[in-house]
Amino acid sequence: MTTIRRFCCNDLLRFAPVNLDHLTETFNMSFYMTYLARWPDYFHVAEAPGNQIMGYIMGKVEGQGESWHGHVTAVTVAPDYRRQQVAKKLMNLLEEISDKIDKAYFVDLFVRASNTPAIKMYEKLGYVIYRRVLRYYSGEEDALDMRKALSRDVEKKSIVPLKRPVTPDELEYD
Amino acid sequence: MASKFGLAGGIPERRVRPIWDAIDSRQFKNALKHVTSLLGKYPTSPYILALKALILERMGKSDEASTACLNAKELLYSDDSVLVDDLTLSTLQIVFERLNHLDLATSCYEHACGKFPNNLDLMMGLFNCYVREYSFVKQQQTAIKMYKVAGEERFLLWAVCSIQLQVLCGNGGEKLLLLAEGLLRKHVAAHSLHEPEAVMVYISILEQQEKYGDALEILTGNLGSLLMVEVDKLRILGRLLARSADYDAAAGVYEKILELCPDDWECFQHYLDCLMEDGRSLSNGPAEDRSHASGRAEHHSLPLADEVFNSRIARASSFVQKLLEHTGDNLIRCPYLANLELERRKQLYGKGNIDNLIELLVKYFLRFGHLACFASDVEEFLLVLSFDQQEFTMKLMKSSEYISPTPIKALGQSITILKIQELTGSMYRLPVDGLEDSSRQMVEMYCNNLTLSKDLDPQESMPGEELLSMSSNVLVQLYWHTGNLGYMLEAIMVLEFGLNIRRHVWQYKVLLLHLYSHLGIISLAYDWYKSLEVKNILLETVSHHIFPQMLVSPLWPELNNLLKEYLKFMDDHFRESADLTFVAYRHRNYSKVIEFVQFKDRLQRSNQHTIAGIEVSLLKLKQNAGNLAEEEVILDSLKYGLDLLDLSNEIRSKSLTFNEDLQSRPWWTPTAEKNRLLGPFEELSHFPRDDLMKEREARARTVIEKRSLLPRLIYLSIQNASAAVKESPEANGCDEPKTSLELKSLLERYAKILGYSLSHAIQLIGEVCRGLRSSEVFGSHLIDWVNLAVFCNAWKLTSTEFSLHSGEELKGGGWLVDSLLEKCILERIRPVDSRVDFPRKEMPILVQLVTEPLAWHGLIIQRLLRVSLPSGKKKKKGGPADQSSSPLLAAVRDSVQLLCAAVEEVIKQLKDQMKKLEEENLEELLSSLTKEGRDGGPGRVFRVLESTVSSASNVELGDRITEALKSWSPAEVSRKIVAGQRRMLREFLSICESKHKTFETLRKQNS
Repeated sequence: MTTIRRFCCNDLLRFAPVNLDHLTETFNMSFYMTYLARWPDYFHVAEAPGNQIMGYIMGKVEGQGESWHGHVTAVTVAPDYRRQQVAKKLMNLLEEISDKIDKAYFVDLFVRASNTPAIKMYEKLGYVIYRRVLRYYSGEEDALDMRKALSRDVEKKSIVPLKRPVTPDELEYD
Repeated sequence: MASKFGLAGGIPERRVRPIWDAIDSRQFKNALKHVTSLLGKYPTSPYILALKALILERMGKSDEASTACLNAKELLYSDDSVLVDDLTLSTLQIVFERLNHLDLATSCYEHACGKFPNNLDLMMGLFNCYVREYSFVKQQQTAIKMYKVAGEERFLLWAVCSIQLQVLCGNGGEKLLLLAEGLLRKHVAAHSLHEPEAVMVYISILEQQEKYGDALEILTGNLGSLLMVEVDKLRILGRLLARSADYDAAAGVYEKILELCPDDWECFQHYLDCLMEDGRSLSNGPAEDRSHASGRAEHHSLPLADEVFNSRIARASSFVQKLLEHTGDNLIRCPYLANLELERRKQLYGKGNIDNLIELLVKYFLRFGHLACFASDVEEFLLVLSFDQQEFTMKLMKSSEYISPTPIKALGQSITILKIQELTGSMYRLPVDGLEDSSRQMVEMYCNNLTLSKDLDPQESMPGEELLSMSSNVLVQLYWHTGNLGYMLEAIMVLEFGLNIRRHVWQYKVLLLHLYSHLGIISLAYDWYKSLEVKNILLETVSHHIFPQMLVSPLWPELNNLLKEYLKFMDDHFRESADLTFVAYRHRNYSKVIEFVQFKDRLQRSNQHTIAGIEVSLLKLKQNAGNLAEEEVILDSLKYGLDLLDLSNEIRSKSLTFNEDLQSRPWWTPTAEKNRLLGPFEELSHFPRDDLMKEREARARTVIEKRSLLPRLIYLSIQNASAAVKESPEANGCDEPKTSLELKSLLERYAKILGYSLSHAIQLIGEVCRGLRSSEVFGSHLIDWVNLAVFCNAWKLTSTEFSLHSGEELKGGGWLVDSLLEKCILERIRPVDSRVDFPRKEMPILVQLVTEPLAWHGLIIQRLLRVSLPSGKKKKKGGPADQSSSPLLAAVRDSVQLLCAAVEEVIKQLKDQMKKLEEENLEELLSSLTKEGRDGGPGRVFRVLESTVSSASNVELGDRITEALKSWSPAEVSRKIVAGQRRMLREFLSICESKHKTFETLRKQNS
C-alpha cells in the first residue's frame, strides 16, 4: 500500500528506520536540500498506512544534448516493505518524469559491482549495464553505470554498452 | 568566480587568477604573497583587500581578516571612484559571514544598491543578504524593487514568498496574504504565469485565506495546465473541493485518483472522509506538510442521516469492488484493506457487524499475512475488537487451513501472528511459564528456519529476523515479572547470537544498547550505538537512544564527542540553511523556500539541541573543576553563565520541538524519560506506545530551565566566596554584596523549579542533614537538591538568612552541606556483593554527586582558600591573609577533611568492585542459564541456541551461517560484559582519584 508523494524536509526526521539499514547512506543536509531545492520532482517518498515511510528515491536531471538524462542518486526501501515492488514504483515515477516532463533521453544509475541483488532488480526494471566505472566507490570498489533508454531516444543509442571500462575522472557528471 | 571583459573586481583577470588557484589548492601562504604584491600595484582595490581578508580568514587569522574587510568596506563607502561590483561584495560577504558579521555584509550591499539603484546583480546580492538574515520584510521590499526594474515573474514570486514567510514564520498578520494575492492577480492579468511552482504558490496563497473557489478556478483554468503530473493535480483538486465542503465532487476526484493509483491508502482515506462529509483530515494543508495524519478517530459523531450513510457506504463498496475487479496485481493491498476500513467505519457508526470484520481480517491474513507489514496494516482494525474477539481472530488465523504450504510464507504468517499478539497485548498477559514458552518458541522458529537464508547474500535481511527481537522482548518482560536477572542476560545472549549470524541488524543493536544501558554498562551500549553509524540528520532523530545515559556516565571523552558531533551538525545546518534557501529561490522552487525556513525553525527549537547546548558547557565545567583558574577561563568563555541564564529566562515562552524517532525504542522504555523496568511489574493492556508528548514537553522545559541556571550559580557562588572573605557580613552590617543578592534570587528560582520556596527548601535540606528526614524525600531530584544545598552554602557565607531557615548549625560549626554530601555518597556505597546493582543503580547517581555538587563545592572552597591564603610568604598582620585561625577556615578544614574521606570511600568501593570482577566473571550467571533439568527459570531459550550451534551442518545451512554459528561464544559475551563493567569502574575511579587529589591539595594548603 503506497502513497507516493514529493519528499519534504520533515521526512528527513522520519526516515531513520529506512536509513539505519547499513546499505543506505545518510548524506549531509546540504546534499538532500540541494536536491530538494533544485529537483523536487525527482525526490519522492512512499508512505504506508499510518504514515510509515516505506522508502524513497532521490535523483536529478542533467546533461547536454543527447546526454540530457534523469539520474537516480539513491533509492531505498525499509526491510519491512521489501519484495512489494516499492522500488519499482518509485523508479517508474522518476522515469516518467524524466520522459514526459523533462524529455530526457535516458535514465541512469550507479550501483556497486558486488551488489548482485540490486543489479538483478535494475535489470528486471529494464536497465542494462552501460559501462563499468573503475574504483568509483572510495577508490576501492567498481561501479556499474546502468541505463534505460526513454522514448526520446528512438534508436536506443544511449544504452549501447561501452566496450571498455572508464575511470571516475572520465565521468561527465559527478 | 565570474568576470566581465577579462576584469575581476576591476583587476585584469590574468593577475588575479594565480590567487584563485592558490586559494583553491589551499596554498594560503602563496595566495597571500600574490595578494600582497598585487596590493602594491592596486592599493585601493576593495576586491584585492577582500581577497586578502578571505585568505587571512582561511589561515585562521580572524582579527587581521576583519581589519582587511573593514578597510575594503571603508574604501567602498568613501571613494566614489572605486569599482563596486557583485564579485567584490560577494567575496566580502563570504568573509563577513565566516566572521559572524552578516550585518556588515548586508550594509555593504545596501550601500552599493543605494549607489547604483537599478543594478540587478547587486540587488540580488542584497536579497541574498536578507535571506541569510531571515529579514522577510526587507526581502519583500528588495524583491519588489527587482520586479519593478526587470518585470520578471520570478522576482514577483520572491516577493510573494517573502510575504508568506512573514505570515508563517514571522510576525506578519494574515492580511498580508491579501497583498500577495493582489500582486499575483495583477501580474497574471498582464503576463500570466509560466512556472508550475508559481501556480502552486498562487493556489496556496488563496488556500491559506480559505478562498477555495478562487483556487479551484486557477487550478482548473489555463494556469492549471502548467501542472504536468495528472495525479498531483487531482490531489490538489480533491483537497480544494473537500475544503470547500463540496464533498460529492471531491469524492469523485478521489475515485479518479484511485483508478490511477489503486494502492494509494491515504487517498482512500480521503475518499471515505469525503463520503462521510468529514473534512478534518484535509484541513491541515497539503499532505506533505503533515508529519502524521490524525483526527480520523471519532467518526461516530458525524451528523449523516442513516440512509445517507448507507448510500455512501454502498457507493464506496461498489467502487472498491470495481477496483478489485481491475486489480490483477497480487501486491496491491489497498482495495482489500479498503473493505476492512468500510466495515470499521460501519462499526464506529454503530452499524457494523463484528463477524464481518473478523472474516475480512482473516481473509486479508490469508492473502497478505506473510508480509512483514501485515500487523501494522491491520493495527487499527484490531483495536476495534474486544480482547476475546482479538483472541478468536488469532485462533482462526492460526488454524492450519490458512497456513501457506510455502515455508517462507508460512514463516511470515507465524511471525505475523506473534506480532499481533504483541500488538494486542495478549503476549503481555501470559503467565511466567507462558512467556517462557513463547520466547523459546520464537527462537526455535528462528533457528529452524535458518535454512531459508542459506543462499542469501550476507547484506540481505534474513527471513525471521524479527523473531530474535521479539524473543528478547519477552525475556525482558520475564525479567520485569520475576526480577530474575538471568532473563536479562538471556535476552542479551539472544541478540548477540543474532548479530553473530548477521552483523547488520540494527534493530538488535538498538535493543542491546538499551539492555546494556539498563545494566549500567554504558561503555558497551555506546559501542553498539557507534556501530549504528549514526550521522547527519540521524543525530537529531536517533541519538536519544544513548544521549541521556551518557550525560550521567563517567565516559567523558565519548560524551564530549557525542555532543560536539551533534552540535556541529546542527550549527552547520543553521549556517548553510539560508544559502540552500537561496538555491531554492534561484531555481524557482518556491514551495521549498517556505519549507526550508520552517524546517530550520523546527530544528532550532529542538529540545535535544537546547539540552545538548547546556550540557556541553556543563561538561567543560565538570572536567575542569579541579583547577579554579581553568574553571574561571571557562566561565569567562561562557560569559559568566549569562547566555544560559537568558535561555533559562526565555524557555517558558518558547515552544520546543521533539524530533526523536521513538518508534525503534524497546517497549519498556518508550521515551528516554521512562523506564518501566525500574518500577514494579504491572499488566500492560496493549502494546504500550504511550503518547507522552505533553509530559515530555513540560519535563524538558523544567530540565532546561534548571540546568541552564547552573553556570551562573557556579559563577556567583565562587564570587560570593571571595566577597565572604573580603567583606564579611559581620563587618558589613546588613549590606549584602551584590553577588549575594543575585545569588539569592537565582536560588529562589531554582528552589521554585523544585516546587519549594527557598526558605522551605533550606528547611528541608536542614532536616535531611540532621537525619530528621531521609534523603529519599528528594526523590529523583537528588542531584538538584544537593546542588541547591551547595549554592545555598555559598550564599550563606555572606548572608545570615540561611542559618535562620536551616535551624541549628551542626556541632562544631561545620557546614550542613558537607554532611549532606557525605550522607548521600555513603548511602550509595553498598556491600561488594551487589556487584550487578551497583553499576546499574548507584553509579550514575554517584557519578553525578561527585562530578556536580561535590565539584562545585570544591570550587567554592578553592576560591575561599585562594582569597584567604594568598600565595607568597609575606603575611600581613590583620589583613585578609591573616585568617588561618578564622571560623571560616576552620569550617573549610572540616569540610575538606570530610569530603576527602567520602571520596576515599568511593575509591575503596570502586577498587573492591574491580577486584571482585577480577576474581570471577559472569560465569556464575552464565551457569544459571546452562543448568539442565530445572523447571522454569532462565535458560530454556539459551539452551535452544546452544543446541542449534552444536547441531549446525554446512549442508543444511551453508558455509557462512554454519561458520557464524560455530564461532558464537557465550563465554565471550560474558567476558565482554565483565570488561565493560570494569571499564565503567575504571573511568569513574579515575575521576574520583583526580577529585581526591584536588581535595588533598586543598587539605595541605589549609593545614
